[in-house]
Amino acid sequence: MARVSKIMLTDVPTLKKEARVAEAARLLNSSKSGCVVIVENNYPIGIVTELDFVRSIASKGKNLAQPVSKIMSTPLVTMSPGMKLDEALKIIDTKRFRKYPVVEEGKLVGLITKKDVVNSISDNVKFHRNIQNAVLILFVLFEIIVFVFSSYLYKYFSLGA
Amino acid sequence: MIKVIDIMTKEVIITSPDTTIIKAAKLLTEKSVSSLVVVEKGKAVAVISEADITKGIIGKKTKVREVMDREFQIISPLAKFSEISKMLREKKIKRFPIVDKGRLVGLITETDIIETTRDFTRFHQMVQDIILAVFGIATAFFLFYFSPLRAWIFS
Repeated sequence: MARVSKIMLTDVPTLKKEARVAEAARLLNSSKSGCVVIVENNYPIGIVTELDFVRSIASKGKNLAQPVSKIMSTPLVTMSPGMKLDEALKIIDTKRFRKYPVVEEGKLVGLITKKDVVNSISDNVKFHRNIQNAVLILFVLFEIIVFVFSSYLYKYFSLGA
Repeated sequence: MIKVIDIMTKEVIITSPDTTIIKAAKLLTEKSVSSLVVVEKGKAVAVISEADITKGIIGKKTKVREVMDREFQIISPLAKFSEISKMLREKKIKRFPIVDKGRLVGLITETDIIETTRDFTRFHQMVQDIILAVFGIATAFFLFYFSPLRAWIFS
């Protein structure tokens, strides 16, 4: 099973918490990740997604000058890079977030999305598990055949009683 | 086989191209959906999502028409899940309005596809566990049958 570090995005757009909403929106628009991580001394303290931005526009109108800390989602659920993907998925299943910052030694090192984790595990299931299942089924069939014909086999090889 | 009809969002929130972006943003938050289908003269012409609204506000646009995304694929309710999943991953199309006999009946977005893939993985894992259990029981029985232990017990 692959680890979080293998599928995480490493170029995560970040902003300090004093930054303006307008800057966050500009970053959201220009980066592919669809979110901006808000950091304090390189440690993620919140996240601003397009949804947070739209929500703030809808409730308070177009206030682009307020600090991002007003609209960010916090607290965050973070992952560590050495975590296995199915452990990560277990955590994701209990939360309702789409993006999870990856933190190592108190520093932001990347970002994983629910989409990447699910797709990666699904591919793993499709390729590896199918082969594994085929081998297991063949083995069980072999056992059944040996079992059914065991009396003949005994006679043929003149084994045992 | 998973059908489109089983996983689609049936309550599609629609809007018109002349609505303001702010109003669209309000609709998105109120109904807690991620995309709206833009309908003009009874036909789905575009889809607008959080990302488009963000772009619109940065670009100082005001109307839905100016930012709406025409990158979408209309599909029929009989389409297979695997086809949509493939389109999402290969062509990067993220929104699929479902039109049946000219009528908009549902919407599938990336989130629905991810959730379904996740459930599918769970199903696969269950199948895997069952096969492992069968294998374990069969092997245990097999070993027992040919072991001296059996002869000793039943002698």
